[in-house]
Amino acid sequence: MRAYLAFLRGAVLVGMVYRLGFLFTALGNVVYMVVAYFLWRSIYVGQTSIHGLTFDQALLYVALGSTVFILLKTFTDWGMAQEIRDGTVAVFLTKPIDYQFYTFFTNLGFPLTSLVTVIAPTVILLVFFFRIHFDFGPGYLFFPLSLTLAFIISFHLDYLIGLTGFYTESIWGISITKEIIVSVLSGMLLPLQFFPAAVQQILAWLPFQAMYFTPLMMVTKPGQNVSVFLVMLGVQAAWTAATFLICRLAYGRAIQVLRVAGG
Amino acid sequence: MTLIHLQDLSKHFKILNRHEGLKGAVRDLFSSDYRMVKAVDGISFDIQAGDIVGYIGPNGAGKSTTIKMMTGILKPTGGTLLVNGLSPYENRIRQAMIMGVVFGQRTQLWWDLPVIESFKILKEVYKIDQKLFDAHLGMFNDLVGLKTLFPQQVRTLSLGQRMLCDITASFLHNPQVVFLDEPTIGLDVSIKAKIRSIILELNRTRNTTIILTTHDLGDVQALCRRIIIIDKGKILYDGEIKRVTALFGAYRTLKLQINDYSDTTLATLRQQLTGQFGAGNGITIAQTEEFWTDVTIDQARARLSDVLGFIMSNFSVADVRIVEITMEDVVRRVYEGALQ
Repeated sequence: MRAYLAFLRGAVLVGMVYRLGFLFTALGNVVYMVVAYFLWRSIYVGQTSIHGLTFDQALLYVALGSTVFILLKTFTDWGMAQEIRDGTVAVFLTKPIDYQFYTFFTNLGFPLTSLVTVIAPTVILLVFFFRIHFDFGPGYLFFPLSLTLAFIISFHLDYLIGLTGFYTESIWGISITKEIIVSVLSGMLLPLQFFPAAVQQILAWLPFQAMYFTPLMMVTKPGQNVSVFLVMLGVQAAWTAATFLICRLAYGRAIQVLRVAGG
Repeated sequence: MTLIHLQDLSKHFKILNRHEGLKGAVRDLFSSDYRMVKAVDGISFDIQAGDIVGYIGPNGAGKSTTIKMMTGILKPTGGTLLVNGLSPYENRIRQAMIMGVVFGQRTQLWWDLPVIESFKILKEVYKIDQKLFDAHLGMFNDLVGLKTLFPQQVRTLSLGQRMLCDITASFLHNPQVVFLDEPTIGLDVSIKAKIRSIILELNRTRNTTIILTTHDLGDVQALCRRIIIIDKGKILYDGEIKRVTALFGAYRTLKLQINDYSDTTLATLRQQLTGQFGAGNGITIAQTEEFWTDVTIDQARARLSDVLGFIMSNFSVADVRIVEITMEDVVRRVYEGALQ
């Protein structure tokens, strides 16, 4: 375990090297949120509530969605594909470490170092410029844990896409496709309440909602009963475990390609 | 003690026959036109603990494939491979603790961080005791003066400095065996000498077994007691370095640019050299690239200065270069039976 904490420490240090990059990411997010503000205001003209969400709730949801996206977007799949393609992966295989855990902790450095720089502008914008009304409740307490689980599920998905690098020389198409599917089906761009009821039923059975919809709802509607949040966390935990197992199985198969066919 | 044992080891790759052009590329998408490549084709040898073994051969000979099997990256197609009594492939993580690896073309250091940070990470990965860690770094510092590099970002290091750090990194956990895959590739003479001395010193003081693959015959001569020559996946020679150096160390190639070169020049040159130095003079003449004539001399049989002097006085020569025998030449000569 100490080894992986050392990787995390290294990753945080690397994160510091690229600190300027975060500022630009945060700046880009501010621009996006301003656009979202006007878009959603026009959607809510003449209405106080759509699909059970007030304008303030919808705006909070969408702004937070794009902010969480920055934290979850680690480019793990791109990094892995690069390592596999140029053969650096061989270096890791000669070390007494687990590739998945190594990849996880080295990619955790970026969201950890950028946590404040990414979240602070969002909060400032929502509180002082958009002046939205915040509901308060136990949801806020569960949010950090929910976000952590969301990060792990998102990582697992990226990791699986990264593993396809063992089979194909370019993961570009696969990665972009995944990106689009996730951004729509996870409720990152649009709260899932806005989807037709039948679609919502299907999405409830997919892992994507656990990446965005679940943590975002904890802050959007934080006043619900604690048991509601516990169920949400339970579902997230189940998806975390399930995707973890799939990752282990997939790695076992993918690595055979390298080991048998050579790199 | 036998540390590494190979018996009839082989590795075959299935390779897609790629076709030319756009049409070919489309065809390849659906192609099942594979051919088998025997990268390593039934090799056997034992390596004793504490040895430095040069594992040499031309490009594509199967050197790296063998190293990758010994380090547990690749799964052998057939045969037996034991490192310290265990199969490296099946016990990857356990075996990784007792071995160090340097791939000359890649780095295990963290590109964006100061050198010392990579070492600190390795300290945790291999669970190296703080005292031991300090002692090792101190020793490396005494050997090559590494300390000045510690605060430098890896990306700002020169290739040679980076290689010194990579080698340090691979020895940090005091492994039983270190695999060095082309450690001196692309480096200049002075840094090569430094790297050779550090390898020798580590082998001497810690009895670390070292397997070295290289293109550079100089590395082998400076470091190894035993060499294994491999080509096309098969072992051509396995034995003492002395026999090989005795045979090839004396060879030099004179590269000449002869004025008024014509079709008959080579024949004339050959005839005149035979006339001057006798029939069994060990001199071979070939034209390997345009405008250049290669005259390879065995210094045990004919003196370089004599041959050069003779040619200069009998031919009009525009340019001369003297080169040491290359790995490809050695392999060719071994094929021709030079070591039999």
